[in-house]
Amino acid sequence: MTAAVEGIASAIVLEEADIPQPRRRRRRDGTGVALTVWGVLVFAFLFLPIIVMFVYSFNTGRLLASWKGFGFTAYTSAAQNPIIVSSVITSLSAALGAAIVSTILGTLGGIALARSRATSTSVIIATAILTITLFTPEIVDAVSMLPWFVSLGTDWGLGVFNNGLVRLVVAHAVLSVAVVTFIVRARMQGLDASLEEAAADLYATPWRRFTQITLPVASPAIWAGALMSFTLSLDNTIVSSFVQVPGSTPWPVYIFASLRVGLRPEIAAVSTVMFLLTLVALAVVAFVLRRGDQSADDIAKTLAAG
Amino acid sequence: MVERPDIRALVPRASAARLSRRAFLSGLVVIGGTSVLAACAKSTGFAPSALPDGRVEGKLNVYSWGDYDDPSNIRSFQKSGTSVQFDSFGSNEELIAKLGATRGTSGYDIIVPTGSYIPMMAKNGLLEPLDHRYLKNMGNIDPLYLDQSWDPGNKYTVCKDWGTTGFVYDTRAIKRDLLTWGDFLDAATTEASKNVALLEDPWEVACTFFAANGIDPNTTKKADLEAANEYLVNTLAPHVKAFNSVAVTSGIPEETFTLMQAFNGDVRQGLLATDKPDAWKFVYPTPTANLWMDNWAIARGAQNMDAAYQFIDYILKPEVSFREVDYIGYSTGIKDLAAMAKKHDFSYPELVFPDAEVIQRLTPAEVNSSAGELVAILNRMMAKAGS
Amino acid sequence: MARRKVNGYAAIGFPTWAYVVFFFIVPLALVLWYSFGYKPDLFTAHANDILSFDRYAEALDATFVGTFWNTLRIGVIGTLLCLIIALPFAYWLAVKMNPKWRPLALALVLVPFWTNFLVRTLGWQIVLSPRGFLSDALQNLGIIHGRLDILYTQSAVQLGVVYNYLPLMILPLYVAIDRAGRPLREASADLGANRWKTLFTVTLPLAVPGIASGCLLVFIPLMGDYITASVLGGAQGNMIGQLVASQFNTAQNWALGSAMAVLLMVFTAAAVIVFGAAGLIIRSLVRRSRRVQLQGGAA
Repeated sequence: MTAAVEGIASAIVLEEADIPQPRRRRRRDGTGVALTVWGVLVFAFLFLPIIVMFVYSFNTGRLLASWKGFGFTAYTSAAQNPIIVSSVITSLSAALGAAIVSTILGTLGGIALARSRATSTSVIIATAILTITLFTPEIVDAVSMLPWFVSLGTDWGLGVFNNGLVRLVVAHAVLSVAVVTFIVRARMQGLDASLEEAAADLYATPWRRFTQITLPVASPAIWAGALMSFTLSLDNTIVSSFVQVPGSTPWPVYIFASLRVGLRPEIAAVSTVMFLLTLVALAVVAFVLRRGDQSADDIAKTLAAG
Repeated sequence: MVERPDIRALVPRASAARLSRRAFLSGLVVIGGTSVLAACAKSTGFAPSALPDGRVEGKLNVYSWGDYDDPSNIRSFQKSGTSVQFDSFGSNEELIAKLGATRGTSGYDIIVPTGSYIPMMAKNGLLEPLDHRYLKNMGNIDPLYLDQSWDPGNKYTVCKDWGTTGFVYDTRAIKRDLLTWGDFLDAATTEASKNVALLEDPWEVACTFFAANGIDPNTTKKADLEAANEYLVNTLAPHVKAFNSVAVTSGIPEETFTLMQAFNGDVRQGLLATDKPDAWKFVYPTPTANLWMDNWAIARGAQNMDAAYQFIDYILKPEVSFREVDYIGYSTGIKDLAAMAKKHDFSYPELVFPDAEVIQRLTPAEVNSSAGELVAILNRMMAKAGS
Repeated sequence: MARRKVNGYAAIGFPTWAYVVFFFIVPLALVLWYSFGYKPDLFTAHANDILSFDRYAEALDATFVGTFWNTLRIGVIGTLLCLIIALPFAYWLAVKMNPKWRPLALALVLVPFWTNFLVRTLGWQIVLSPRGFLSDALQNLGIIHGRLDILYTQSAVQLGVVYNYLPLMILPLYVAIDRAGRPLREASADLGANRWKTLFTVTLPLAVPGIASGCLLVFIPLMGDYITASVLGGAQGNMIGQLVASQFNTAQNWALGSAMAVLLMVFTAAAVIVFGAAGLIIRSLVRRSRRVQLQGGAA
């Protein structure tokens, strides 16, 4: 399975022809109009439930899904609910931590894969285990990781694994390190190694070669990977609920646990706020990238990857 | 050349990972694990609890279902100087897995298990016996909700809230009076066919058949289970539109079903949400139904024992308890709540406080040796209904 | 000219592999181990002192197989619907859209995925309500007679999975069409081919890797999904993930649950291989027929 998956998956990332794009002749015609209509419809489809939830976050009723009246009560009561506030903070901190850990590991992994011989046994094995992380049902991750963390924390005496945030960060990073690795690998594979070789020929130290050539080349992929792992962590539920310790319930776990007594409009209100926060975070990243001499196109495509 | 980004090419793979996990987590979130129980049964090394010493600790860790307590109650309790940290689980199995795997180091002081899981948890040493001397307000609880079969003498637990199972139907579609589980099954296979929602709960679904046929819903007899399998899979399943435990709250206002098996408090939420409450009728069916109870308990290994007792005692005060009822929509089992409800203009009190006669006939669900077969029956019903 | 690899980079991946092995592979092996065990008694979820394949035999009953086929049907139809919806959309993005707006449009495809998935699915539940605004609008327009009756049917599940996985189809298709197609499309147009001919002889064949990966990316997670089914679907939308879950959850039989999880992964992989092989055969047939056409044309 791994081979098949890898084969097909690499098909989508392998073309890296650097083709100049001439201005196309633009034509207005029936097909174009039909395609545009279709495109707008698809966007409407994608955004419909989001808009609905946004609207329902102003519901003043007891149950999220039954509209009673318009008001901001959901926002105010969510802000006053210490459980909700702390779960949102937990989620954001864990997502940030997981993004950092998995981005560092994924960058190293991606560069290593791209710059090793693709047929070597170690590359095949590394690719295989990373691929397995993507295809394992999450419950299986969850039931295996919890006893493992407990064992590390108590039997091995590694007290750090009794910390809830550490567990969340480590577990989420496991789940997204493959994503970052593959993104970075594809970026590096797309670009030939001649720059790095040139640097080596000019007697640059490996460290300088890495920081001054390789990392800048990989940077759009690194940013994209960081965003992706941030998002993955923000949405993770099962593994989080298993590994959490007191004070580290993340937001999605709270939502699931609330199903028992019916979801309140507060859930939609907080989701709306988090949605906007994520947008702001992305805008900041875009801004940082712009300052970092990236082309606008680069930034946009990095965003698209997030 | 270096500037040329190729991120786009990677997006799909990346988002796939995210979605696949999301997809898998799905309902699986509720999965818990008792395998860890095996581990903890073997390992005798449970971290000891810190016994109460009269000094109330400055913090308290509660592990409960989400959104399951009135935030204003928690705020006012915290004014006493103890900060309360709430964490959420989505199923009893998850709770048990957590406590079992952490062997007394979970950090949680108070937990909220459902009654039927308590014998299992007690047997595996996950619960700290309660010292009733610290719970002065236990006398506020109606004796109906004390001394339950799963925890004789309230050795480990105190009732947090409870509910029962019944059914609700649309009187425009089903014009006769339904009173029993027999009536329910009859209507489900006739007038309401293809418009029936059952709870996604193996015990509850099987209970419809057992109760209708005068069999103990906790039966472990092979013949009973076979009969249930035969009827539920071959006769009932093709008439079922959905197996969904939360369908009723939206199902009543949206009129997506005409007959729904449901928990009493959820039906009330549904009726509060609809503009045509008169069209619906809720039944506490005879001869029996589940009495489920969520309970306060202290976890083995608790480090903030004084604060834990203080919190449980606080929540048992009548006025505090009434706010809980109002927030979660289920009875907490405190005496005279119905009278307070009347005073506070609480809508549909009969759906939260059934008559004593109804309560007397209920049967608490047990987790016993038929559990595996009941799961198999429900899975067969779902496969049959989907074919 | 002989290319040489920059040495020294292969080793920097070591922390990554060590991390994944230590925190993922080691604990995962435990679950595989469980699947060879059994459930010894009511209060114990698994034991491994006697090993056997019995749990696999037990898991593979008619219910499992029936539910698997149901899930496979939802998965295949869902994947095809995603493809049908995404293909014109991705073409529009890659070819018709003003390049200035394209990055924004791509970002918009992903933006819905920043809200919690349970919240999104509940959003659909509100939309599809028989007494909701969509139902009213469709009735007023005379498109449907009587209330919208989609919620808790297989159509709702189908719609839900298409929604949840559509972006996974759009993005690889977009990439394939955009990346490989443009210069060739223009060459084709310059050589006098009309647009339909360009579409079928140049654009679509070049998008095949994108189509393949899109299908894969939609199909595999879809096979393990069932939250969509349990929120939107009724009895008709029953999926196999539920079966696996119920063993870990209600039945508390980890041995059986693990065996089912392993079977689910193996069956899904088998389905992928079968569809992949079919795809390759179709592609080679199409190529052969095209070659014949071309030869015919030349003669």
